[in-house]
Amino acid sequence: MKFLNFLIILSAAIALTFTSCKKDDDHDDTDHLHEGNVTIDFDHVWGATEEAFSLNKELTHPMLNEKMTFNIFKYYVSNVRLKAKDGSWYAMPESYFIVDADPSGSNLVTIPNVPGGEYTDVEMTFGMDSTRNTSGAQSGVLDPAKGMFWSWNSGYIMLKAEGTAPTAANGTFTFHLGGFKGENKVQTTKSYNFGTTALVVDGDREAEIHMVANPARLWHGAEKLSVKSVNTMPNALAKSMSSNYYDAVRFDHIHN
Amino acid sequence: MIRHKIRFLLFFLLIWGTSCQKDQDKSDFGLAYPDYFPEPYYKFGKNTLTKEGFELGRALFFDPILSIDSTISCASCHSQGHAFADHNTRMSFGIDGKMGDRNSPAMFNLAWQPIFMWDGGINHIEVMPFAPITNDVEMGETLENVIEKLKKHPKYVQRFQSVFGEKPIESQQLFYALTQYMTMLVSDDSKYDQYRQGKVSFTKDEEDGLQIFKAKCASCHTEPLFTDFSLRNNGLEILGDDFGFGRITLHEEDNYKFKVPSLRNIALTYPYMHDGRFRTLEQVLDHYSQGIVSHPNLDKNLISNGKLGIPMSDVEKQKIITFLQTLTDYTFISNPIFSE
Repeated sequence: MKFLNFLIILSAAIALTFTSCKKDDDHDDTDHLHEGNVTIDFDHVWGATEEAFSLNKELTHPMLNEKMTFNIFKYYVSNVRLKAKDGSWYAMPESYFIVDADPSGSNLVTIPNVPGGEYTDVEMTFGMDSTRNTSGAQSGVLDPAKGMFWSWNSGYIMLKAEGTAPTAANGTFTFHLGGFKGENKVQTTKSYNFGTTALVVDGDREAEIHMVANPARLWHGAEKLSVKSVNTMPNALAKSMSSNYYDAVRFDHIHN
Repeated sequence: MIRHKIRFLLFFLLIWGTSCQKDQDKSDFGLAYPDYFPEPYYKFGKNTLTKEGFELGRALFFDPILSIDSTISCASCHSQGHAFADHNTRMSFGIDGKMGDRNSPAMFNLAWQPIFMWDGGINHIEVMPFAPITNDVEMGETLENVIEKLKKHPKYVQRFQSVFGEKPIESQQLFYALTQYMTMLVSDDSKYDQYRQGKVSFTKDEEDGLQIFKAKCASCHTEPLFTDFSLRNNGLEILGDDFGFGRITLHEEDNYKFKVPSLRNIALTYPYMHDGRFRTLEQVLDHYSQGIVSHPNLDKNLISNGKLGIPMSDVEKQKIITFLQTLTDYTFISNPIFSE
């Protein structure tokens, strides 16, 4: 009996030990809803008609009136936060994602272990905070081997769009957009309100946020591909193209 | 029962002891430097400096596996005998005999260096090797492919695991190991250092040279590292279209600015300037005294009393050169722990 008591105490002690190493990420969760995952789905559409966008599909840009076929379209999204009904925020730690139109990657951003509750807003940064651009070698989704980091001018490529276009100089277009400082800073934080219906996080219950993004917007205000088909460094064009794209990303609906 | 308790208690203590603590340093291996050096700029942080990590970085530094056709290693253009500059060539050769467009800089005291490359485009030592590895005219490789090659190399898999633990090799580990090696390249045993430490005395000319140097050169080449790590336009004649720092910022006021190099080991690292245009220290000093070309953003240290250049007599120049030769660190260039 004594031994059993001891075992109970011991296991409690071990449990305590393990929890003592964890970071304090407790969230006041007074109601009955359970922790769950939230998924943000980026639906890519093309132009004013919002036809389906996909790689390796010939598209016509409605403003440039030039044909283009993407073979790369991806961008960083970081620092995702959710606003609860009571006005408090849940910020996902280490929140960095590459949204990729290629099926080998993903157009989904998954926020794991969100405290159970009802949420009214999502906030995210397109691109990346400047700290990560100046902190040396990173890993995971921030690994420079992902091809989204400039070797010669340190900083992340925050959006990459490449493909072929018959009107472009070499028949190809290459846009690597980024920049984290000064007037060429392209990272942009945006917040979206879900309107009347709240996003409910409750264990395995589906909690999806659907966003619509339109790559054609990159060339709103940019020159024709026959004039300019390459831009691979932080500059005013990178700033204006990425801003035009980010500004047009919109919240569409939630799935509960 | 008591014995059981003790056994459980021991087991519990063991779990507790290992669960929270990271492995302590296995030795007193570390970055050593004289007390007149400032605090290093680089903080190792998550990159725990160990002898094994340093040795792994050294193996990688000398291994052409980092290049696409296994012909070029870091050491190909950064040779210890030349204070890790190239072998006194103006430009360096990469894969397929391709030639770069700048002079390979020397490598030492990098733990104190906040920016890298002649144009200052790289903001952190850990990501510095990314540039030569992937540059078309240097190693011409992709980071992804380097990692794949290392993963297939049993010797490296085992060494990476012993340094970084049992996880797949990632570029971060490659960069961490190279950084450990690069930051350990401390040059602090030149005659100048021995003089500062009171171990030797300077000749009259060396002493004179030091005083002239302090008056004419030290505003940019600041002791004891002999650089202030700034980017400046030093009045070179424009040859070619290398805009230096202006290429990074796209600001006209940064055009033709280049990083102020350290003058330690300078006698070993000719030719000089970002494009290796000057072969001798005499030519360099002639440039500063009477060769300065006017630029809108010319460094103001290069104008005195409305005239371009730093006034120096031939005797003064000779004494400065005599002093600069005391910055050669023979211990550093022959130290076997930095060798393959």
